[in-house]
Amino acid sequence: MSEAIPGGPGPARAGPLRSPQGLVAGLTLITLAALALWLTRDLDQGTLRSMGPALLPDWLAIGVGLCGLVLVGMSFTSDGHGLDRWSLRGPVLVILAIVAFAVTIRPFSLGAVSSPGLGLAVAGPLAIIIGGYATPEARLRDLLILAFLLTPFCMILFGDLLNLPIPIFPQKFAELFPATWSQKQILRLTAAFFAGGALLVFLLYPRHHNQSVDAADHSGRI
Amino acid sequence: MGDFFSNLSLGFGVALSLQNLGLAFLGCLVGTLVGVLPGVGPIATIAMLLPITFGLDPVGALIMLAGIYYGAQYGGSTTAILVNIPGEATSVVTALDGHQMARQGRAGVALGIAAIGSFIAGTFATLVIAALGKPLTGLALLFGPTEYFSLMVMGLVFAVVLAHGSILKAVAMILLGILLSTVGTDLETGEERMTFGLPFLADGIDFAVLAMGIFGIAEIMRNLDHTEHRDVVRQAIGRLLPSKEDFRQAAAPIARGTVIGAILGILPGNGAVLGPFAAYTVEKKLAKDPSRFGRGAIEGVAGPESANNAGAQTSFIPLLTLGIPPNAVMALMVGAMTIHGIVPGPQVMTKNPDLFWGMIASMWVGNLMLLIINLPLVGVWVRLLKVPYRLMFPAILMFCCIGIYSINSLPTDVMFIAFFGLVGYALIKLGFEPAPLLLGFVLGKLMEENFRRALIISRGEIMTFVDHPVSAGLLVVALIVLVLALLPTIRKGRDEVFVED
Repeated sequence: MSEAIPGGPGPARAGPLRSPQGLVAGLTLITLAALALWLTRDLDQGTLRSMGPALLPDWLAIGVGLCGLVLVGMSFTSDGHGLDRWSLRGPVLVILAIVAFAVTIRPFSLGAVSSPGLGLAVAGPLAIIIGGYATPEARLRDLLILAFLLTPFCMILFGDLLNLPIPIFPQKFAELFPATWSQKQILRLTAAFFAGGALLVFLLYPRHHNQSVDAADHSGRI
Repeated sequence: MGDFFSNLSLGFGVALSLQNLGLAFLGCLVGTLVGVLPGVGPIATIAMLLPITFGLDPVGALIMLAGIYYGAQYGGSTTAILVNIPGEATSVVTALDGHQMARQGRAGVALGIAAIGSFIAGTFATLVIAALGKPLTGLALLFGPTEYFSLMVMGLVFAVVLAHGSILKAVAMILLGILLSTVGTDLETGEERMTFGLPFLADGIDFAVLAMGIFGIAEIMRNLDHTEHRDVVRQAIGRLLPSKEDFRQAAAPIARGTVIGAILGILPGNGAVLGPFAAYTVEKKLAKDPSRFGRGAIEGVAGPESANNAGAQTSFIPLLTLGIPPNAVMALMVGAMTIHGIVPGPQVMTKNPDLFWGMIASMWVGNLMLLIINLPLVGVWVRLLKVPYRLMFPAILMFCCIGIYSINSLPTDVMFIAFFGLVGYALIKLGFEPAPLLLGFVLGKLMEENFRRALIISRGEIMTFVDHPVSAGLLVVALIVLVLALLPTIRKGRDEVFVED
């Protein structure tokens, strides 16, 4: 489990700083504590007998800040980890994918701009394909097949079988069908259509062979 | 004693109904299915599958969730044995000898003994829960706010001590978790705290959002940094049923592991994690030839796996009787219960006896299911293990989005999992563990409430926590444990326990 945070105990570094990770961690805690104290500055602390809303948050923030101070102090006295390599591509694309899902699943307005509610039929594939590119090994063909298979699966599972109130497709789309069709019938047809799309991609798109299996290294963390 | 049996029969009456039997089966199957995927631990699994239980009645939903939990736990062991990737802390030790057995062509036996050991441990743990449920609930009813507060402090101290890595960082995470729980409207005065004036923060941070962000999404970001190529065991799985000789060797470790796991699991503050480590250490110490460990000793699989399962189950005790979740998984259970309108605590047993006893009986049923499901389906799991991560994580991502959206139908909730995902990723990168943060967050609200009540009752006298004997006792235990953990010699031992991989 020690390998959960790679970087390892760094060699004795030049200069007084012996644990860059500890320093940044401590500074982060101090910043968070300061933020909390600043946010509760207008609230009443009260007394122990009748506690105000700010009493507990303030004391907790002070505790967090103290931990941060000790961490900063220790980063100059005892050896610790170096700073880890931070990647940009993974987090950025994962966040983009989630935000794309959030703004397309149902109408969402931010100030003057508002997005149309497109439902799971658009939000699902969007999340999978944008998210899929978070790894350099992404392949469009596989992601398309995955999107076209998982989306109808989720439509049937969540919309049809479990009846969760998730928008499945844009309202405009549902109006294309004769009025006698029920929502569920449209849903099933759309799902079948998606699955057909997966089959199409599978048959038409050229494939690359790759035998190796990659798996997440999950060294026993919870 | 009569009570014990009548309660259990009430429970089995509920658990053995066709619907609940089906749900337990489904839960175990789906839980194993997701839990087997490398890189997906029980917490992520439960968080992801939470929405599929929404449409059910509370009893059915909790039975299914419990099934998902055991399934995910067992699935993690399968991955540990076959790919040497422990899905979570508790199966780290299983990977040591289990994977070696797999390399020697004895994967089947390792999986078999893990399943059988888990089943025996589960049976024993079910009986322990049934026996302890009533007296502990009675005890809980005697607890006032003062005692509750001290009990939670003790639980959090245990969580700090049992977390791996720096104690200081674990303390900071717990404090930060409690601090996060105070975001939102103050219940007493109605004033908004730390909400940035945002309306969706007025009710506080949603637990499911926080959990899915710092576990589900942050895990994906972290795993993307660390994908590596590993081979699934290529040797034949071999026979599944252990031989007589295997049983003879494994019997005592299973028994010891069960007892160790069951006792440690009851501890508030994630004692269940310690069970497998303790069991492994004990087996290694007791063995005639300790050098066999790490090279495919069957005792090294049987003991920890039994401890793992026993602890997983007895960790329900603090939740069901005291209403205090001892670890992150149980915290998710609290979330699930509240969604279904059940407030966990001592009153569950008296108010919803069919839920309480039904769930306990379903634990045994779930264990039996695992045995029945897993052994014949090993081939399926092996194929699942070959799904590359580049295809797995977009799927997980979408499930997380749908799951969190379906709770409140709020797009902002979905965006918040991205935010907390980034926060969790940063914390991991800085060497902080997210689990204590989550535990602090869950206990935070309860703690503040009880702290206030205790102070109101004592008219603002802080010494009330020391004046009440039970409360004082709990605090002393917490203090002793904390001091022991800080002592250099014990620290060294603690580090060794956690560095065994």
